Amino acid sequence: MLNKITILFTRRRINIESLTVSETERKGVSRYTIVMKHDKREEVEKLVRQIRKIIEVLAVFGYLDEESVYNEIALFKIATPMHSKKLDIETINKVYKAWVVYWELDYVVIEKAGTEEAILEFFRYIKPHGILEFVRSGRVTVGRTPQGLVEYLPEAEWEYYL
Amino acid sequence: MGNYLNIMAAQDAAAVVELDEKPFLTGAEAMMEALLAEEVDTIFGYPGGAIMPTYDALYGYIDRINHILVRHEQGAGHAAQGYARTSGKVGVCLVTSGPGGTNLITPIADAIIDCTPLVCIVGQVKSFLLGTDAFQETDMIGVTTPVCKWNYQITDPNEVPAIMAKAFYIARSGKPGPVVIDFTRDAQAGLMTEGLNYQKVVELMSYKPRLIPKDEHLQRAAELINNAKKPYIFVGHGVLISGAMEELKAFVEKTDIPCASTLLGLSAMPIDHPNYVGWLGMHGNYGTNVLTTQADVIIAIGMRFDDRVTGDVTKFITQAKVVHIEIDPAEIDKVIKADAPVVGDAKEALKALLPLVKTNNHATWRNEFRKFDVIENEKITQRELTPEGKIKMAEVVHMLSKKTNGEACIVADVGQHQMIAARYYQFKKPHSYIASGGLGTMGFAIPASFGAKMGNPDREVVAIIGDGCFQMTIQELGTIAQSGLAVKMIILNNNFLGMVRQWQQLFFDKRYSFVELQNPDFVTIAKGFGIAGHTCNERETLSESLDRMRAHDGPYLLEVIVEKEENVFPMVPAGAAVADIRLE
Repeated sequence: MLNKITILFTRRRINIESLTVSETERKGVSRYTIVMKHDKREEVEKLVRQIRKIIEVLAVFGYLDEESVYNEIALFKIATPMHSKKLDIETINKVYKAWVVYWELDYVVIEKAGTEEAILEFFRYIKPHGILEFVRSGRVTVGRTPQGLVEYLPEAEWEYYL
Repeated sequence: MGNYLNIMAAQDAAAVVELDEKPFLTGAEAMMEALLAEEVDTIFGYPGGAIMPTYDALYGYIDRINHILVRHEQGAGHAAQGYARTSGKVGVCLVTSGPGGTNLITPIADAIIDCTPLVCIVGQVKSFLLGTDAFQETDMIGVTTPVCKWNYQITDPNEVPAIMAKAFYIARSGKPGPVVIDFTRDAQAGLMTEGLNYQKVVELMSYKPRLIPKDEHLQRAAELINNAKKPYIFVGHGVLISGAMEELKAFVEKTDIPCASTLLGLSAMPIDHPNYVGWLGMHGNYGTNVLTTQADVIIAIGMRFDDRVTGDVTKFITQAKVVHIEIDPAEIDKVIKADAPVVGDAKEALKALLPLVKTNNHATWRNEFRKFDVIENEKITQRELTPEGKIKMAEVVHMLSKKTNGEACIVADVGQHQMIAARYYQFKKPHSYIASGGLGTMGFAIPASFGAKMGNPDREVVAIIGDGCFQMTIQELGTIAQSGLAVKMIILNNNFLGMVRQWQQLFFDKRYSFVELQNPDFVTIAKGFGIAGHTCNERETLSESLDRMRAHDGPYLLEVIVEKEENVFPMVPAGAAVADIRLE
């Protein structure tokens, strides 16, 4: 399925900024969250219609940033050798809302969830400590609407996880 | 189980006895039952290792399923396309894995762009070998995904009935297209663990093509049409696919709107209809192209504004409001912004629009097209039809058209002869121009012509083929000879890849880069295959040659030696506006 969707982007030379796939609260229904940048709404709408053409696709929704709530998660592996600059855990927790999720003698792993900007801000703060590894997920998004997305799906006897 | 018994009982009472001995079918047998349940009586194919269990099952069904053994899998695909386009049914191909499947890619790509319903059953290695680079293993799902409407890999015999029902439904519904079924050898040979219960699919949750247009769409379209001063209809392939010819005629006669056809829309309107003004696009007629700049409302029916129709899209119908009747929502606004989109089946849309549109008279506007016809006739047509020297392609097609009263089914290959066939054949019956439009697949015509003949055996089928194209699928002469189908083939031989040569002459300073062919003796080759034929080299014998070809019982090849450096005009140069169409 993933290939069927992504080739529509590559064929049109449109870059996928990030992609997140997970099963929804309905059994057998997966949700793809695809982030793309484009300055022409029309072109995005054309692409949306092409994605709708894939036989297995139940529905496609397009959101602008301001129409949705979204987050990413990032993990930072920071070196903590002897005599290195001490990590200010209080600032990390209280100012940056980031958490140490794992530690060993000579490194820690800090988790930071938030928008790209918030993650980047924390990146800049923590960089002087020496980042051994940095990984960021794609976005997960919900629309700023009172309905859930699955409510728009065709009527059927769905099985729920919840 | 009950349904299975019914199917079997209806076919052969003895089969029920067989059922007691072997309670469950193999996947391959279930495949045959699926074909019968979908009323498939003709398939095109080529056996090989990974599809052998299915060919073995087919052996038990040869009294009910007519299998045409082609000479190359590409031939199976194009034959199935020809079959689908004249019969209105789904074309079915059966090929093996690896090269069998990859040879089928061109017809699949052709069928998706020309909206032809195909179900391609492709063998696959045993499922435990998948991903091991096994002998003749190709990732068919991977390679066909960009060019098919749907594909699925069957690895369990129990999946066969449900998947095949889905495959046929997807292939023929909505905007038709090719479906690929990748059928592993173990799924073919393995036994089902349940009785066959074949249920045709009539609806799918995630795929719901809209047939009946929305009311508000129809209202808006009718309003634009009723207020138009110079409305103009573009007739596309969708009219033929949905069988909307009568509805179109009724609509056109009530509104008196002039209508022009796209290449694949040819023959949807009889050429002698007073409202029919000609053919659109790169090599279309003069008036039909130029007057797109005068129309105030364009009604596009079942067409997709291909670049060969629009020319420079930034200068195409910019002054006009557009009503776009189209079954595929992705086509709306894709190339041309629609002021009144009507998403739905062409037949249903025209039926629903008819009571909403006013009776009108557009005789003055229609006559403007005729003024251009006079110029085109004088500058091009007359010269082409009354030439001196070598025979011209146009006079061959024109003469054929007269002799067949415009009632033959013309299968064209790709290039100059394709354009000439479209220009000079006077189509009177629908489904009479079968060609590769979107993909422009050279080599389409030989296999498509015998497919077309099988799809509608009562019709006279004449393939018009270039000397270059003929050599791309020449091996299918063997299929024609073996099946004895009375397909008539005309090679318009100019010893050139004519269309490329024309472009090199006009746009590349006559630098003829690899376009001249050293051709074989086509008639001798045909004779080698057991197909009669002869060559016509002189104008005086052309008429008699065509008569001889038509009168021959069985397949026939007529080679006509034509003018070497002939150009097809009118022509909209690539990238130019359609109004800048060239007459010479």
